[in-house]
Amino acid sequence: MASRKRTLLKAIILGDSGVGKTSLMNQYVNKKFSNQYKATIGADFLTKEVQVEDRLVTMQIWDTAGQERFQSLGVAFYRGADCCVLVYDVNVMKSFDNLDNWREEFLIQASPSDPENFPFIVLGNKVDVDGGNSRVVSEKKAKAWCASKGNIPYFETSAKEDYNVEAAFQCIAKNALRSEPEEDFYLPDTIDITNNNRLPRSSGCEC
Amino acid sequence: MERSGNGASSSSSGKEIADAASDQGSIDTSESVQEPGSSDGEAKQAMENKEDEELSRGLNEISIAKGQSDGNPNRSSSGESSGTNGAGGEEMARRVSHDGNSWVPGKRHADEDDSSESWRKHKKHFFVLSNAGKPIYSRYGDEHKLAGFSATLQAIMSFVITSGDCLQLVRAGNHQIVFLVKGPLYLVSINSTEEPYQAMKRQLELLHGQLFLILTKAVERCFAKHATFDMKTLLGGTDIVLSSLVHSFNWNFTVFLHAYACLPLPYAARQTAGAALQDIAESGVLFALLMSGYKVINMVGPRKASLHPDDLFLLSNFVSSSDSFRTTESFSPVCLPHYNPNAFVYAYVQYLTESVYLVLISTSLDSFYHLKDCRARAEMILKKSRVLGEMSRSVERGGLRVKDLSLDSQNGFTARKPDVVRENTKTLLGGPAGLWHFLYRSTYLDQYVASEFTPPLHTYAAQKKLFRAYQRIHFSMHDENGGHHKMQYRRDENYVLMYWRTSDFELYAAFDPLAEKSAAIRVSNLVCQWLRNLESEVFLLGATSFNW
Ligand SMILES: Nc1nc2c(ncn2[C@@H]2O[C@H](COP(=O)(O)OP(=O)(O)OP(=O)(O)O)[C@@H](O)[C@H]2O)c(=O)[nH]1
Ligand SMILES: [Mg+2]
Repeated sequence: MASRKRTLLKAIILGDSGVGKTSLMNQYVNKKFSNQYKATIGADFLTKEVQVEDRLVTMQIWDTAGQERFQSLGVAFYRGADCCVLVYDVNVMKSFDNLDNWREEFLIQASPSDPENFPFIVLGNKVDVDGGNSRVVSEKKAKAWCASKGNIPYFETSAKEDYNVEAAFQCIAKNALRSEPEEDFYLPDTIDITNNNRLPRSSGCEC
Repeated sequence: MERSGNGASSSSSGKEIADAASDQGSIDTSESVQEPGSSDGEAKQAMENKEDEELSRGLNEISIAKGQSDGNPNRSSSGESSGTNGAGGEEMARRVSHDGNSWVPGKRHADEDDSSESWRKHKKHFFVLSNAGKPIYSRYGDEHKLAGFSATLQAIMSFVITSGDCLQLVRAGNHQIVFLVKGPLYLVSINSTEEPYQAMKRQLELLHGQLFLILTKAVERCFAKHATFDMKTLLGGTDIVLSSLVHSFNWNFTVFLHAYACLPLPYAARQTAGAALQDIAESGVLFALLMSGYKVINMVGPRKASLHPDDLFLLSNFVSSSDSFRTTESFSPVCLPHYNPNAFVYAYVQYLTESVYLVLISTSLDSFYHLKDCRARAEMILKKSRVLGEMSRSVERGGLRVKDLSLDSQNGFTARKPDVVRENTKTLLGGPAGLWHFLYRSTYLDQYVASEFTPPLHTYAAQKKLFRAYQRIHFSMHDENGGHHKMQYRRDENYVLMYWRTSDFELYAAFDPLAEKSAAIRVSNLVCQWLRNLESEVFLLGATSFNW
């Protein structure tokens, strides 16, 4: 067995309600798409195994609710995320404007050890709609925003037509792996026997 | 908290126990026996009835489980009596596993996940996950495939924790979900075995202790530095240890008694073993232990302190579940959570015979060659004095048997001249008065002794059922409601169960359901008296109780 250990990556998908977070995940994991909208309540979880270079990676995807009344899962929810996917709808300006809030919110709640270099990725979804004619956020504008936030990778996607979905998630896995901490930090102490503080309290006379 | 440990003089504690116990008097039918319909208050009776009902429901469940276990057709096979040919409970457990039916070491059903019908049918799941929702351990199924399930558990916990609360127990139909938060780790059991909440909590605590024994508290620092820490990657190859631990939750009395058992030995042989250990312990060995399976032969520690029973249990599970220790001498870092949760110590392990192993614990990474020398010295002493042979014979012979229950105090157990008290037991199975089994815990020694499982308790299913019945009694007698009772007597279609507690000991005894109450009480008294006579053979006397 030459293969290296399996790794698990926790990926959180954030964005306004209706931008297509659940649809993207469904397309990626199950290769399915539905035109019907079912608001996510709380959160949904899916897993997918991917190969990234020589590593076998399990993506643990946390699909969250965009609707505020369902966002009740609390602070601990974002803890320990390896990467964060920010999604907006290229046809809805508000969903793009809100990216700032989602990103801030995430950094506050997840409080990653190195916020500057935390692996985000931005997806501009629904590029298929109306052949692109109803689009209100240009690729240029989106890319400028990403550049200003520390060069966040940017993908234009369509969950409906399965456009760029695989590529986007592959990039997510790759970036998350790259920022994985070194492993040799797990170093337990050994006991200093000369320091008797762990020895039993003596009961009575020792002589 | 501190118990009197006056070194050598405490070897007389055995006698003190006997004296104190006889001061307590013996069980008397006319008073204080708690049973439904007795003259005790109605409230108590109601409690009893409820418990009985719960108990029998629990037991029914188990027999249903037996019927359903199509995957393991021989799980409750009636043949292969291991009880009669002299194997201790744990040897029995091993043997059952060797027969290949009931328990296979290591991960089972590894290909399943939460979408498999079969995965959902397992009666007792254990999960460990990080507080980020990353899977660390699952008793059944593949951890990575269960990542979504693990995330769901985290989301539930997160929701409750955010509201400033902590989730402990959820009941859903006949399932209970028990949660335990230990720093950055969440431990969860989902089960339909009807074990009490306290029992499940205890099992989760032991599971946590076993992870700590392997990894130390250093993992908590890893989480503090990186919440993304993937602890599972550090647990490679430990499936066998964890599965053995979870299996022991069905048969090892240490699990609820917080006490350890000893290999029965003549007093002199145990002393000889102790002297050999003492000899090397003075040269910088922190603890020296001579063990067989989960049973202690002797142990020596700093200032005559002994290890905490839980540390002993987790250490012996670690050693005896991993076959690699059997074949070579090993030197392995371990953490003894009750001794020091923050640090590794180093354990040198070597089997001296097929069943007896020596563990030498040192705080120094460089101590391997020194410990090897120590082992050689101890081994030589043990071989010369022929006590190793004595130990092997004891393992062969097994423990006490109910049918050998003898009142003749001249008859040491290891000298075994069965001189059985039998009275109108013609129609009842088992020992006198239909005694099937007993379990006795000495309060001062933190040790217990249990009789061998003999027919009709020769099947694994029957043993598991009795284990759970005792466990249920234990927790009913140790919670706020039952805490003040000294005695419990209950009868159902499976057994007559007796529980008796004094300041010196606790006794659990199981009788044929047709046993007469007065006879059962008389025989329970006999058991206690018998054990007092055998004390120096079935217990390690003179070991000071642990102080941490
Ligand atoms: N044309 C088109 N429609 C899409 C695309 N992605 C999603 N949709 C549709 O947009 C609607 C909302 O999609 P969801 O995936 O449920 O949105 P969401 O972000 O998960 O919403 P919340 O769960 O409420 O946060 C659905 O009706 C989808 O069919 C896309 O790429 N193209
Ligand atoms: Mg959704």
